[in-house]
Amino acid sequence: MCVGLSAKVVKISNGTAVIDAGGAKREVSSQLLEDLEPGDYVMVHAGVAIAKITDEDDSETEQLMEEFL
Amino acid sequence: MKTAREIIENYDGPDVRIMEVCGTHTHEIFRLGIRKLLPKQVELISGPGCPVCVTPVSFIDEAIYLALEKGVTICTFGDLVRVPGTNMSLAGAREQGAKIHVVYSPADAEKYAGEHPDEQVTFLSVGFETTTPAGCLSVKAAREDGLDNYSILVANKTMPQAYEALKDSADVFLYPGHVNAITGTRLCEALTEEGVSGVVAGFTAKELMTALAVALVKFQEGKPFFVNCYPRVVTQDGSREAQLLVDEMMEACDCEWRGLGVIPKSGMKLRQEWQEFDARLKYQMPKIEGKPNPACRCGDVLQGKCKPSDCKVFGKGCTPQHPIGACMVSGEGACSAYYQYS
Amino acid sequence: MENKTVTMAHGAGGKQTSELIDQVFKAHFANNDLTADDAAVLVPPAGRMAVSTDGFIVSPAFFPGGNIGKLSICGTVNDLACMGAKPLYLTCAFVIEEGFPMDKLEEIAAAMEKTAKEAGVHIVSGDTKVAGKGQVDGIFITTTGMGEIEEGVTVGGELAKPGDAIIVTGDIGRHGCTILLEREDFGIDADVTSDCAPLWKTVKAVMDTTHNLHVIRDATRGGVGTVLYEIAGQSSVGIRLNAEAVPVRPEVKGVCGMLGLEPLYLACEGRLVIMAPKEEAEGIVETLKKCPYSADAAIIGEVIAEEPGRVIMETEIGTQALLPQPGGELLPRIC
Repeated sequence: MCVGLSAKVVKISNGTAVIDAGGAKREVSSQLLEDLEPGDYVMVHAGVAIAKITDEDDSETEQLMEEFL
Repeated sequence: MKTAREIIENYDGPDVRIMEVCGTHTHEIFRLGIRKLLPKQVELISGPGCPVCVTPVSFIDEAIYLALEKGVTICTFGDLVRVPGTNMSLAGAREQGAKIHVVYSPADAEKYAGEHPDEQVTFLSVGFETTTPAGCLSVKAAREDGLDNYSILVANKTMPQAYEALKDSADVFLYPGHVNAITGTRLCEALTEEGVSGVVAGFTAKELMTALAVALVKFQEGKPFFVNCYPRVVTQDGSREAQLLVDEMMEACDCEWRGLGVIPKSGMKLRQEWQEFDARLKYQMPKIEGKPNPACRCGDVLQGKCKPSDCKVFGKGCTPQHPIGACMVSGEGACSAYYQYS
Repeated sequence: MENKTVTMAHGAGGKQTSELIDQVFKAHFANNDLTADDAAVLVPPAGRMAVSTDGFIVSPAFFPGGNIGKLSICGTVNDLACMGAKPLYLTCAFVIEEGFPMDKLEEIAAAMEKTAKEAGVHIVSGDTKVAGKGQVDGIFITTTGMGEIEEGVTVGGELAKPGDAIIVTGDIGRHGCTILLEREDFGIDADVTSDCAPLWKTVKAVMDTTHNLHVIRDATRGGVGTVLYEIAGQSSVGIRLNAEAVPVRPEVKGVCGMLGLEPLYLACEGRLVIMAPKEEAEGIVETLKKCPYSADAAIIGEVIAEEPGRVIMETEIGTQALLPQPGGELLPRIC
């Protein structure tokens, strides 16, 4: 229901973050996330950073497989 | 250790209906050809998690009323442009001279209003928990910027009531990862006590396959379960900031879902302190009763009661180029996905 | 020229019209074949001839990587080239909105001159009309091209055969992406320029490598995805597309990710889709890589006998899925 784009934070100022996805940059709101820093990866939806991304999907799914399967 | 794909392909447990709640999941499942891997016992049902698809006809009619009768500039996500209203879509209204401006973010709609003080601007605020905060932030910004020409037409919805309404339609929910990114997972965990099972799924091929595999393995254990299969984005608490923001600015209301009817307390509206930004109040919106095309079975599709191909107009009168129902409009609508990929 | 903008008088056929033609168009388009009379008088080519016409409206008329003038030459030259035809002559008709800046018109004419020279085509006849304010959006250009088809080459959309390799001559979607970012106010900052380029020399190089070619088509509106569906339909064949082999610049991918768009459906203005027997494919790609506009050429799939009319994608999990059919208007989506 919600297209999310994973992107890197390159700049933070005053409630907004500049994010970079493959060289495409855009200013988004960072008001929903505390303590965001340049270099962090975030999930962006409709111009708002909605969550910090804490891992790669590779290792995430590997851990799940080990735990449950 | 078996791979997720092997687990899915070799599943030999009891029949299971898995509802992918999120339209982006529906889309990715088709794009990746996952349905073709499933054994007979596993049925994937496309649920109501596409905000475009569940937006009722009357909402489009309201937007068109504002655009054509009140001369308001409508800012909208691109998804809504081709959704049919009773008489026409926003694209049709544009042909008649309505100003329809497609935006990427509600923040851009607010910015547009600031740059065009001679226009009245209304943003069509649709979407679930993931999208609602963005609409709220735009209203907050409008107040800070002192704009009196910006408002939002709210049709935001919340998912928990839909899970309740749909709990008999599926055995396992594939929960929408980006909704859970905002709401956290406590509610879904609590649903296991009512016998509702599900897994939170991410959106990459690996994440989707793993979530399906986990769902199938846990289902065979025979007990209600919840697993967060998207922990790199979804936490138990979700975004506190988002929850506080929405709670500060909006309150629950009864809400019509296309096809599902009115679900009590499943919608959002601006609280009284923010009412000057509520387009319905600002323009004294008359009561508009939308009339969906009677042949369209989007409602049954959304509830998993029928497949898109069971609908008489599917692929005939109703195609992505000439949609009759909303599920054919959105790229992630179940009908559109069925049409395009099969 | 005295006027800083194009006025209705420039289109009235009198002195000012002559001035405009002499000082802007003739100054740039001058060649032996360009006529001052009612029609150009030309020597027809010895062999078969290809003729193509195309109207150009693009908003904005100036964009990173080109302008409507360059586009109006490339579009028609490339259509001719796709039939294996060397572009010889070109006519152009302008409809200009009253008030259009003269220096911008000059810039457009200069781009046309440069591109026509590069493509080796002579502009032989033209027409200029001025429309009242608001009747057109800036400037519209229509060009018609005539070319001589190289002997021994027969290509067409209905000639794809199972077993053909499918080649794309470079990274896709850049023109569409550029225009989208310029036209709409999505606040996205990406270093993307249009791929707009004249491709006759590219086609010529390929034909010098082999005449054993089945389809050459330029992927313009609707992008590579639309071309593949068109050819699958025209030739009644299936197409197996290796999605990961399709070259897409990361910035274009990033923009598409933000806006929920599929690069395969974004317009190109300097990319060809070539279908030729598999054994020719490596040689063609090697040639393409040496040409200026096709350094990133790649084999992206093959023509199959099964699934006629459809485009099947190999997905990253090793399954096969249909490429969705091209839709209508490209609308960014959020959900």
